[in-house]
Amino acid sequence: MTATLNQIAVLAAKDLRIEGRTRSTLGLVVVLGVLIISVLGFGIGTQPQLAALGAPSILWVAYLFSGVLCFEKTMATERQDGALAGLLLAPIDRGVIYAGKLASNLILMFAVAAVITPVGVLFFGMDLSAAPLGFVAVIAISMLGFAAIGTLFAGLMSSSRLQGGLLAMVVFPLVLPLVIASTQQVLSPGGTGLAILVAFDAIFLTASWIVFELVLEP
Amino acid sequence: MNRKILSCAYWTVAALAFAGVMGLIYFWTPFAIDPNDGKPIIFQKILYFHLPVAINTFLACTVCFAGGIGYLVNRQTWWDDLAAAGAKVSVVLCTGVLLTGMLWAKGAWNVWWTWYSPRLTFSFMLWLLYVVYLIVRSSVEGSQRRAVVGAVYGLIAFLDIPLVYLSARLLPDQFHPADITLSPSMKLTLAASFVPITMIALGLVFLQYRLHRVQRGEVVGPLTLPGLGMRPSLTGGAA
Repeated sequence: MTATLNQIAVLAAKDLRIEGRTRSTLGLVVVLGVLIISVLGFGIGTQPQLAALGAPSILWVAYLFSGVLCFEKTMATERQDGALAGLLLAPIDRGVIYAGKLASNLILMFAVAAVITPVGVLFFGMDLSAAPLGFVAVIAISMLGFAAIGTLFAGLMSSSRLQGGLLAMVVFPLVLPLVIASTQQVLSPGGTGLAILVAFDAIFLTASWIVFELVLEP
Repeated sequence: MNRKILSCAYWTVAALAFAGVMGLIYFWTPFAIDPNDGKPIIFQKILYFHLPVAINTFLACTVCFAGGIGYLVNRQTWWDDLAAAGAKVSVVLCTGVLLTGMLWAKGAWNVWWTWYSPRLTFSFMLWLLYVVYLIVRSSVEGSQRRAVVGAVYGLIAFLDIPLVYLSARLLPDQFHPADITLSPSMKLTLAASFVPITMIALGLVFLQYRLHRVQRGEVVGPLTLPGLGMRPSLTGGAA
């Protein structure tokens, strides 16, 4: 168990070290997210009532696009210099590779969300005073499910010769339950929204862990 | 027995059953009565088409799922062809569900589309899921890789269906459809209408499956029902 956790930590640390030295993903993705929020803000930001109600969905548009870009880029680093072949030759379970990628993607997404979310909350005047921690928890749980799906399909797509942009197309319809459940949970807390989010995470973490070894090809 | 005759017989029975059910719906089944104002609800008869098509959509999705799992386990191409056939038919059927659902929404609430109806929203999200399956499939190079991508996507999409359904129910449900208890004759019509529509759905899956096999240059494989196989003259040369 500790050995597996160690392997996951080593893999995630490798990805984060690459990101720390090149800084190629985070800056791009954060700016993209802020741009999306401001583009939509010009449309509906002038109407306060509409803006406050629409804010969770607008945040999700930003999360979705920046997340897909983020997953694509972290997987693309494995395409260079045959890094993926080396990774596949390593004497570890393929599920561990998945978990490592998931961990680094999740950390990057948390970093992105930590910038985008306050921007969205400020721009659209969301009132979070009722349950600020609940809001953060809902977003965090949703991010886990989003990253679970995104990491699996980034691996699948990067191993297949495909036109760019297809990852967004695959991931968006699959994560619609997350978007609906989390926006509804933020707008009207209570109900089964949280249960759906947790079920989504559990189902797709398990399924992806099992399926991932069939997905990667150098 | 001649395959062509079996195939003709199958589709003739399906067509006759369809015509028979149409007759039942139009001439025999009574109108449902709105409990609120006591008037007949004419558009309620969409149900006899709408519900069987919806159930068969799930059937086709299950075929796609089973085909994908089978391919991941066995790595035989016919599983992949089956999955592709299931996905294609599920998109066609789901389009039928959406169109009849929209007609129903127009009749019941006087709008063509509403996000407030969880079932309509659910059908739309299901349609999106499987349309994306077809598009992703067609844009992957290499038949082996295409099969893997399709199988993994089909698996994840199938697991997604219950979550999509549950999350659609979270949307505020402003329009409550009137609760109508079906009389015995209505139930009979509903049950009867499952026969032709399930036959048509299964027939389409088999036709698509056979088409994919032939495109691959193979006609051998399980589930090539005798009545639905290619004629020997067309299949003899392909290897």
